[in-house]
Amino acid sequence: MHWEFVIAGYAIVFVLLIAYAAAIVQRGRRLSEQVPENKRRYLD
Amino acid sequence: MNRTTGSRLTRRLGALAVVTMAIALAFGLVFSPPEVAQRDAVRLMYLHLPTIAVAYLGFFITMVGSIVYLRNGSVFWDLVAGAAAEIGVVFSVFLIVSGALWGKPTWGVYWQWDPRLTSTTVMFLMYLGYLALRRLDLPPDVRSRRAAILGIVSFGNVIIVRYSVQWWRGLHQGQTLGVDTQLDGLMLFSLFLSLVAFLLVAAWLLIHRFRVAWLEHQLTRIGFERALAERRGDLGGGRVGEEAR
Amino acid sequence: MTDRPIDPSNADPVDEFDLPDDGAWPGPSLDLTPAEYLDRPRRRWRNWAIMGALALVAGFVLVQALTNARVFFLNVDEAVAQRAELEGETFRMQGTVVDEPRTGADGSLLFTVAFGGEEAQIRHIGDEPSNLFELGEAVVAEGRWDGEVFLSTQVLVKHSEEYVEDNPDRVDYELEDTAEDAG
Repeated sequence: MHWEFVIAGYAIVFVLLIAYAAAIVQRGRRLSEQVPENKRRYLD
Repeated sequence: MNRTTGSRLTRRLGALAVVTMAIALAFGLVFSPPEVAQRDAVRLMYLHLPTIAVAYLGFFITMVGSIVYLRNGSVFWDLVAGAAAEIGVVFSVFLIVSGALWGKPTWGVYWQWDPRLTSTTVMFLMYLGYLALRRLDLPPDVRSRRAAILGIVSFGNVIIVRYSVQWWRGLHQGQTLGVDTQLDGLMLFSLFLSLVAFLLVAAWLLIHRFRVAWLEHQLTRIGFERALAERRGDLGGGRVGEEAR
Repeated sequence: MTDRPIDPSNADPVDEFDLPDDGAWPGPSLDLTPAEYLDRPRRRWRNWAIMGALALVAGFVLVQALTNARVFFLNVDEAVAQRAELEGETFRMQGTVVDEPRTGADGSLLFTVAFGGEEAQIRHIGDEPSNLFELGEAVVAEGRWDGEVFLSTQVLVKHSEEYVEDNPDRVDYELEDTAEDAG
């Protein structure tokens, strides 16, 4: 009972969560290319 | 080398997070029993409560980072504060969505301006404001300082949200996890598992998000340094910046 | 300082730039505002737009919160005691359903709620409550007094932080309890 709400909730959250994670990783890749290698990481 | 913000740590953490989440979902959606009154709607609790925990934790880290930054000007802590706040805001969206979808079949409405929901909205807006402040076109140290102050003050909202169900009467139920936890066996375990899964995911996100912030910071610094270098080159060694002041 | 354009892909391990490792800003002086930052045309309007938008939303939320705060939240015994003062006012009443809800002649939902030793009759003309609504549940009804009856436009089921597993064994357990109470 009420499964449509449960599925909707989990689906929306996980889709957004994965999208957010992907966006961060993507941005990380793009930025890494623009920064000199020895300056990419804190404490490198 | 390091073409991404990933590392051995994040790859292992990520793998652990995914596995734990898979198991948590299995328990939350399948193995755990329905509740006697709410039936299967209770399964949204295994989503709603962990996202709240992550949001609170994120905002707490923002407060800590802001305090440390104000005390010693550490850019590391300023960036951590910003990254944690963004994750907190994202998870605030998750908690509101999951809460609304849990409310409709149980209470009967997606939303009501009761103390907890109202204070949660205010909290969300303040941290949205914090993120906006970090994007304002201001001298970087001024911007960071103001953001840090807001980051500390805004945590007051979190306290209000947390205790709103105790301080005021309203529709939203009281604290689920506390001194007097009333959750039957397998439900409690499923909740605990979901909590761990989401915390692992949050940790993974925080590391990556911090590294992105650091890269942005480096780019900005390089930009400034380049401009400074040009200026020094133009005027044959004279330092315009200092002389002008 | 070199005139070469900066190419990150073949940057020397040696520092191209004089950037401190701890992230501090470059520049000779302690004033962290590099001159070229001040030269840049500032997008002031964007700042104001962002703050303005947030202020609007915050204002909306504040208005909502304040107007709804005036919708009092009273338990049945308090609502009954203040019936005279609450004449015509919309408020929320909280109580437990103590009788079997039934449908009235006009299609409204009729039931009784109790709290703190007092009872109140409710005539609900709004949307049908969620299917958690039944005898024994705590509810929050929004409406106003209509004589001795509370005319409600919204009935929400309030559930506590107690979560009980639904499994077959439990039915026997409850029947046992009921038998003990009756006997």
